[in-house]
Amino acid sequence: MTLTKTNRRTAVGGIAATVLALASGGVLAQADKPLRIGFSMARTGMLANATPSQLNTYELWREQTNARGGMDVGGTRRKVEFVTYDDQSKPDQAVRIYEKLITDDKVDLLLAPWGTPFHIAIAPVLEKFKFPLVGNTAASVALRKVKPGYIWFPTSAIPDRIGQELVKMLKGENVKSVAVLSNVLPFTKEIKNFVEPELKKAGIEIKVSAEYPPDIADMTATLTQVKQANVDAVLALAYPGDSVLYAKQAKELGLNNPFQFIAIGPSDAFFAKAVGATSAEGVVTIAHWSPKAEWKGSQAFYDAYVKKFGEDPDYLNSALAWMSLEILETTVAKTGLDKAKMREMISSQTFDTINGKVKFEGVQNVITPTAFVQTQKGKLRIVWPASMATSKYEAKKGW
Amino acid sequence: MKDLFPNRWWTLLWACCLLALAVLPFVANAYVVGIGLTVLMWIALTQSWCVLSKMTGYVSLGHVVFYGIGAYLVVVTWQEVPLPLAIVGAGLLAALVAALVGLPVLRVRGPYFVILTFGLAELVKYTITWIESASGMASRILFGAPDLPVIYFSMFALALLSVAMLTWVSSSRFGHGLRSLRENEEAAETLGVPVVRYKLIAFVLGAAIPGMVGAIMALRSTYFVVGQVFDPMISVTVIAMAILGGGDNARGPLLGVIFLSLLSELLWVNAPLLYLVILGAILMVFVLVVPNGLLGLFERKPVPVVERPPTDSAA
Amino acid sequence: MTVLDILLSGQLLFAALVTGSLYALIALGLNLVYGTMRMLNVAHGDVVMLGAYGAYWGFTLLDIPPLLAAPVVAGLGGLLGWALYRGIFQRMLSGGSGAGNNRLESNSLLLFFGLSIILQNATALVFTPNNRAYNYLDTVYHFGGVAMTGNRLAALLVAGTACIAVAVFLSRSVFGLATRAVIERREAAHIVGVDVDYVQRLSFILGFGSAALAGVLISMLGQFSPFSGFPFTIAGFIVIILGGLGNTMAGLLAALLLGVIETYGVALTSANMRSVLLYGAFVAALLLFPNGLFAGRAKSR
Repeated sequence: MTLTKTNRRTAVGGIAATVLALASGGVLAQADKPLRIGFSMARTGMLANATPSQLNTYELWREQTNARGGMDVGGTRRKVEFVTYDDQSKPDQAVRIYEKLITDDKVDLLLAPWGTPFHIAIAPVLEKFKFPLVGNTAASVALRKVKPGYIWFPTSAIPDRIGQELVKMLKGENVKSVAVLSNVLPFTKEIKNFVEPELKKAGIEIKVSAEYPPDIADMTATLTQVKQANVDAVLALAYPGDSVLYAKQAKELGLNNPFQFIAIGPSDAFFAKAVGATSAEGVVTIAHWSPKAEWKGSQAFYDAYVKKFGEDPDYLNSALAWMSLEILETTVAKTGLDKAKMREMISSQTFDTINGKVKFEGVQNVITPTAFVQTQKGKLRIVWPASMATSKYEAKKGW
Repeated sequence: MKDLFPNRWWTLLWACCLLALAVLPFVANAYVVGIGLTVLMWIALTQSWCVLSKMTGYVSLGHVVFYGIGAYLVVVTWQEVPLPLAIVGAGLLAALVAALVGLPVLRVRGPYFVILTFGLAELVKYTITWIESASGMASRILFGAPDLPVIYFSMFALALLSVAMLTWVSSSRFGHGLRSLRENEEAAETLGVPVVRYKLIAFVLGAAIPGMVGAIMALRSTYFVVGQVFDPMISVTVIAMAILGGGDNARGPLLGVIFLSLLSELLWVNAPLLYLVILGAILMVFVLVVPNGLLGLFERKPVPVVERPPTDSAA
Repeated sequence: MTVLDILLSGQLLFAALVTGSLYALIALGLNLVYGTMRMLNVAHGDVVMLGAYGAYWGFTLLDIPPLLAAPVVAGLGGLLGWALYRGIFQRMLSGGSGAGNNRLESNSLLLFFGLSIILQNATALVFTPNNRAYNYLDTVYHFGGVAMTGNRLAALLVAGTACIAVAVFLSRSVFGLATRAVIERREAAHIVGVDVDYVQRLSFILGFGSAALAGVLISMLGQFSPFSGFPFTIAGFIVIILGGLGNTMAGLLAALLLGVIETYGVALTSANMRSVLLYGAFVAALLLFPNGLFAGRAKSR
């Protein structure tokens, strides 16, 4: 099928027409009456597999809110509509998206994207346009350097506190030696930077200290070293991508150390499905939420999530996302859409969330303690700190 | 100059584009200015890529390495070295790296060269990753970066510079030498073209601007993670834009950049879930249906009898 | 672990073989397509990804063990290859794209790149971008001090067998000889009566089929998502370039070499150095041997 120049031009013209049609369709679809809330989310690219836990939570909230007649904006209920774009797992795309949401789409409210780099990247944009946003899935000591005022971080999983609390927990379990493996991505590397000095201070021997790149495909070499070291605890500072690899290869090599910690991964339902229930059992990970009777709404959130999506929410990311929505809801109900008033209220009020009380000093949440959970009989239970625990820690009995 | 402005229609087109881009920050909102910035960035990257790859036929799949090196320099010297110095330094550093590795790298030909350049970019990426983690750095954040208009106009200057460079190379004797070695390197050498020197010069020339582009874009996203700065997709996109634009001069790639970046933006905004699929399909359709690129579509150049593919007569 | 311990470690040898055999399978398909058609299939890793999804759905929805599903998934991969060849690439090769090797190369790069984008994002659209993994054959066997998870052992055996089978096919059968002829000198093969179109089609089918098979094996070992194909494409390219483009046997050797460098190199230095070592070895090798490590055969232009 050879094409003459005319045919070619027709084909290109056809493409151009299709594209224009799509463009005009987009322009016409914008309405003004519902409450428009904008955010960016990685739907493609490297991080796309981590964002569903947050996106699902946003969707669940919107569904429930609209079922109640809409979000309470200073006394009036308005139906919620999302304006969202794919940031392709690139922080600079997120910057452009939030610029677009604020200046071009002119949304009423903003929600946070997924992940620390994205929160930090958009902070300058929020400050420039004086648009407050309650963050969620971000944790880094660098957050404290962000100028307070337009973004807040409810999580307590900040690497330096994780380092301190983890070592306290290890000391409590009489651990004398550890192996530390870390993914070089920012969050886990930060944890390593903080946990190692704490271990030394507490007199716990670090027999193996290794780092690996995020795209690692085989950990045999490193894990063989760990096996030989015969430590009491293995701290696998892994991301969801490598958490499964670690678990599978730890099983192959028979790493039967009683204390197994995997930084990120096991708080998501996916982990147990990927490695099997026996392997997932007894693994300790970072999270500070669990359905608890005294935390209002926590059980309801859990049940609603399971009902809608057929799997457990991510105990860290989904919970944080929901908390940020609760804070936003409570604020807007009182202040309406006045940005200055919103800002003032978020910075000073104590909020009730599914994770208990939350209050911000500067950008950080000062109430929720740094905590760890453990999979026990297939369910995640808070095992540290004792003040918040729903269950006691149990040593892992092999993979 | 004939290369860029062969007739008054082209001159008019470029004048309009230039004007539009120049006034953008004064008339449009931050989002639209962002699009303009993106277009300028791709212009600078693609034109500089063409200096080597289009002219000599040595297709480089590692153009992002210079971009990344430039970005890294700025990040590492942040607030210790005045910014303009760092940016110029970034360009010089990238050119230096090109000069150092150019001779052995350019001995490799064809598809081997393609993958070698890719491997080189990845090697630099992982080396920097290793250096960063060995020095305890988890990530780098640039607080206090300049505003969008400053970034925009710096990029504007770079884009102009790159267009000027490609135009000059394309219509100079140097450029003709490059084209001759593309057609047949051995023959060109026999005829007296200093092949090795020319290739190296083209390589170094093409490296300086991406270095500065990377430096400036680091200021835009302010959060530096090695893996995302040395993104192979940047290299691939540059190739896509150059090929879609077509032609053997400075005009083609400009068309390609404008077309692809505006198309991507349009699709991304309006068909957010589907847009990459559609984009991929459009790329494929283009290569099959319009193999001479956009320039080939708009310009009816008489095809020499020798080159005309036999199937045309059947049409 | 001392250096000697590392070099003699059976555990590491096993890991190197598993990695190397998978690379070999992937490189094989890539070499066939490049060798016969001089096109760099940058979507190869995405076909691997599709194979992984095939096995995943077979196992989680229909309870079909991946090893049983493997031939079916490979067959589907081959079918995809055939369809793409007939629909698209056949035209590209029969002179539609104009003069010059360079043009064909960059154009085919772009063509396959477009295909790669489509495959990745269509998969993400249909199957969601979530990570997928499952548990199969996860009992750990012990042979002489070396621990082997069942699925890794199976991957090694299947990949190894497939590579050997294709190698035998290429060196013994008539079609295999024809393929090697086309790889070595296309015009000459055409002149002596080889049906070049048939060989190209077969290469495409085998190439895509082997990629899908590799995907099935990989899906047993870890998690994957619609975007995890690219690293396999890269690994495949490194291997075939090192072995010399079109040289299928050398590609197999280069694959094992790569598995060895990766595993032992990491053991001797640190996991963080893995990619530095890999790419460093690759760049160094190419700079010293611009036509691949095993270049010795006459390279057709």
